[in-house]
Amino acid sequence: MTRVTPPTIVVKRPLSYQEVWGRVGIYAFLGMLALFFFLPAYVMLVTSFKGMDEIRLGHIFTLPQQFSVDAWVKAWTSACTGLDCTGLRVGFWNSVKIVVPSMTLSILLGAINGYALSFWKVKGANVLFACLLLGSFIPYQVFIYPLVRVYAQAGIYGSLPAIVLTHIIFGMPVMTLLFRNYYSGLPVELFKAARVDGAGFWKIFFAIILPMSAPITIVAVIMQVTAIWNDFLLGLVFAGRDNLPMTVQLNNIVNTTTGERAYNVNMAATMLTSLVPLTVYLVSGRWFVRGIASGAVKG
Amino acid sequence: MGMKQMVAVSAIALAATTGFAKAEEPLNAEVIHWWTSGGESAAIAVFADAFNAAGGKWVDNAVAGGSAARSAAINRIIGGDPSTAALFNTSRQYHEIIGEGLLNDIDAVATKNNWDKVLPEPIAKAVKVDGKYYAAPVNIHMPLWIWYSVAALNKAGIDKAPETLEDFFADLDKLKAAGITPLALGGQRWQENSLFSAVLTNVGGAKLWKSVYGDKDQAAIRSPEFRKVIETFVSLKPYVDQGSPGRNWNDTTALLIKDEAGFQVMGDWAKGEFKQAKKEIGKDYGCIPGLRPDSPYVLGGDVFVFPKTDDAEKIKAQHLLVEIMTSPEVQVKFNNLKGSIPIRADVDVSSLDACAQLGMKIMADPARQAPDASQMMEEFVYGSVQDIVTELWNTNMTVDQAVDRFDKALKG
Amino acid sequence: MGAHFTRHVKRNLVAYIALLPMAAVVIFAYLGTLAWSVRLSFSSSRLLPKNDFVGLSQYVDLFDTPRWLTSLGNLVIIAFFFLLICFILGCLLAIFIDQNVRAESLFRTVFLYPYAMSFVVAGLIWQWILNPDLGIQQTMRGLGFSGFVLDWVVNPKMVLYAIILATVWHGSGLVMALLLAGLRGIDSEIWKATRIDGIPTWRVYLSIILPMLRPMIITSLVLLSISIIKMYDVVVAMTNGGPGTASEVPAKFIMDNLFERANIGLATAASTVMLITVMFIMAPVLYFQYFRKSGSSS
Repeated sequence: MTRVTPPTIVVKRPLSYQEVWGRVGIYAFLGMLALFFFLPAYVMLVTSFKGMDEIRLGHIFTLPQQFSVDAWVKAWTSACTGLDCTGLRVGFWNSVKIVVPSMTLSILLGAINGYALSFWKVKGANVLFACLLLGSFIPYQVFIYPLVRVYAQAGIYGSLPAIVLTHIIFGMPVMTLLFRNYYSGLPVELFKAARVDGAGFWKIFFAIILPMSAPITIVAVIMQVTAIWNDFLLGLVFAGRDNLPMTVQLNNIVNTTTGERAYNVNMAATMLTSLVPLTVYLVSGRWFVRGIASGAVKG
Repeated sequence: MGMKQMVAVSAIALAATTGFAKAEEPLNAEVIHWWTSGGESAAIAVFADAFNAAGGKWVDNAVAGGSAARSAAINRIIGGDPSTAALFNTSRQYHEIIGEGLLNDIDAVATKNNWDKVLPEPIAKAVKVDGKYYAAPVNIHMPLWIWYSVAALNKAGIDKAPETLEDFFADLDKLKAAGITPLALGGQRWQENSLFSAVLTNVGGAKLWKSVYGDKDQAAIRSPEFRKVIETFVSLKPYVDQGSPGRNWNDTTALLIKDEAGFQVMGDWAKGEFKQAKKEIGKDYGCIPGLRPDSPYVLGGDVFVFPKTDDAEKIKAQHLLVEIMTSPEVQVKFNNLKGSIPIRADVDVSSLDACAQLGMKIMADPARQAPDASQMMEEFVYGSVQDIVTELWNTNMTVDQAVDRFDKALKG
Repeated sequence: MGAHFTRHVKRNLVAYIALLPMAAVVIFAYLGTLAWSVRLSFSSSRLLPKNDFVGLSQYVDLFDTPRWLTSLGNLVIIAFFFLLICFILGCLLAIFIDQNVRAESLFRTVFLYPYAMSFVVAGLIWQWILNPDLGIQQTMRGLGFSGFVLDWVVNPKMVLYAIILATVWHGSGLVMALLLAGLRGIDSEIWKATRIDGIPTWRVYLSIILPMLRPMIITSLVLLSISIIKMYDVVVAMTNGGPGTASEVPAKFIMDNLFERANIGLATAASTVMLITVMFIMAPVLYFQYFRKSGSSS
């Protein structure tokens, strides 16, 4: 995608008095809001590097006077959940085990759905899609009991396949929506030409459509990594004891309180848990903005 | 002989009689519970150690938060992959799953150990359904103790803990005048509800407690006595500090530990906080079981239930768990750490702290025993009651409105 | 229809097969469970599902429950302000960032990172910052402003705005990202033309650019609506519905009744009401946005 000329006047001549104030206004506005948006991250960061004595006496906004990474080490290696004091490590790897297959499969299915909906004529497909979209507005809680029963019948309740399948189910509406809208924006001539050449459903998908899907796939990856990684409720219910994700452990650590609340450990644990989606955002922020535009094009 | 060995020996003796000894594999027992805080973890470790010492293998499954842990257990039961045991409150929470035939009864162990005699009546009622024992009570919590900070009271010129409601209100005024938060309250639904229950038991007494919450008697709900309970509850509002809403109970107890507040109504688990802060009963803090000579001693607590299974090994593990958890030695050791009191009177109380001993003494009088509110009504009814209490506390609801809503909610 | 339809299916057979997983998910996971939960809303189920039929009595109870009515009212207020503020703020941010500013990627990252955090984190951290004894109020008083009051999370009249603040912090970056992407796609010819005509910049944005960004706006509002209707974690983390019932929301009502209060009948009645409401509000929006044109072509 080429960078379109920005809408403001291309500045070659000296700025007028009015324009200078305009620039100042823009930076002041953005700066103030940036401070507001950054405030929580700042509080979490400084708190996680403080000792408990300092937290007790100081304000939450002051910088740590004695910089310490103890809280981070503790959160990662030795924070306790019940009798089990192994920190967030275990949950981290469980979350990875859940995210990778859930994300891959839900994106692949979303792409296939979007492709079939945009280019192929399937009677009733739009009705299905409409149901799917409406379904995405219903609180998850409604689905939990029936799904527990169905999984139990199938003998997969409380296992990795159960939680992966659940994420596929709940990720399907948004994934399908993204790919469907993106594919609607692609030139239909490409598809028609391939059809004339005798290419079938899968051949067109893998040879033509999929290679063009990079921008929207990045968006899908970001959204699914974030959604699945941040999920708490589904992981707690469906993942089973051996696969509990990091967020469940975080909840256990943060809500387990005797004596004084270890705010520094809590903040470090919170940041550790957010690290994966944050990294994904920071690394791919630019593509996200580009890709999401292509996914939002009206179908 | 140390405690562990003693437990082990008795468990092995038990195992021999039940024919378990010939099994080579250890008895696996997966236990779902929500005891994740420091003191609670130490307490459940007593069970785990004793069970392991008896040749079992304890598989710990801690889920933070009572309702999260209970629904995890129920989902596992419905999903056909139940744990060996699961923690519930001594209440009606598990009565419906008993009705559906989803729990194993533990009558064999109960009869052998004479539970009919040993257990206090309200507790026995809560775990015995249709003539069979379905749950193993492990402790008794009295949720309505009144705690105080000795230093805070002294600062306000109070040298003696209040013994009557009048004293209590006089002390609140003195504390307020001295610039100390008179009443520490965590503004969460259940804590506000504890405060209301404390007012109901201390102003209304055992009779009103049972007729309103137990019999749901309309005349009692509309009686002047119950109106007085509501009025007294509301009149406590000015004694609470601004930071109250949403505060956790232990952060609230910390106000007493730091001598910044005078009183707090809280269950006996609050002792854990005082102990951890190296505070001593009598010197730094104190406990008041009630504000009238006959105020009821409300018996809450925790039980383990044992999901249905036909697997003989699993049933053996369940019975061994019950046996170990309720044995006198384990009971004392566990309850010392948990802050509660043992479920049976036939134990050596000398190692318990002063508050627990006081509790044991009061409980010895059956007339003082009263069931917890959650044992007298369904969960959804209790939920509505708590909604009313929290609105009563946080809005300007009138006494008439409150009475009407209690009447309606308790009808179910 | 017969022969024609057979030919149609033959030509598109693989597409039908490829859509089977979606059909299965829709029919079993969505429609099936919804039907089941609507069914339960007519039963007397408490802790476990029951098969009896009690008519509309759960619905009568539901609308007789003050907490449910409070929850509905709160959701309307929160959703309205959340969507409005996210939209305005997201627009302004996108437009200002699009003015060729320095450190653009820094600004973009700062505004977008909250969206990567979970709602639980958003709730916890804002609860802490707004807590009168720990956060901003305490700090300002420490600096000498002894009369400074910022008690939103503990004040029943203001607590909804505390929640709106946290959710806006979480969600407005998404609107910004989408609109920024849209602005980058606007043809520069349009700007040239409007400049020649001497139309003031704000009018160009309001009457030309924003209408062109309609797809992005709708997509962002749909994504935000999905999250706000399901809003649960953030309230639990921030206020747990308090003080009193001042910040209760429908999803929390459903959750509490399903799990804490063992009242499945009432919970499923509440979720059915939510379902119907969502259908009435969202169906037309979704239809016009995603189906009208493509619907005629298929």
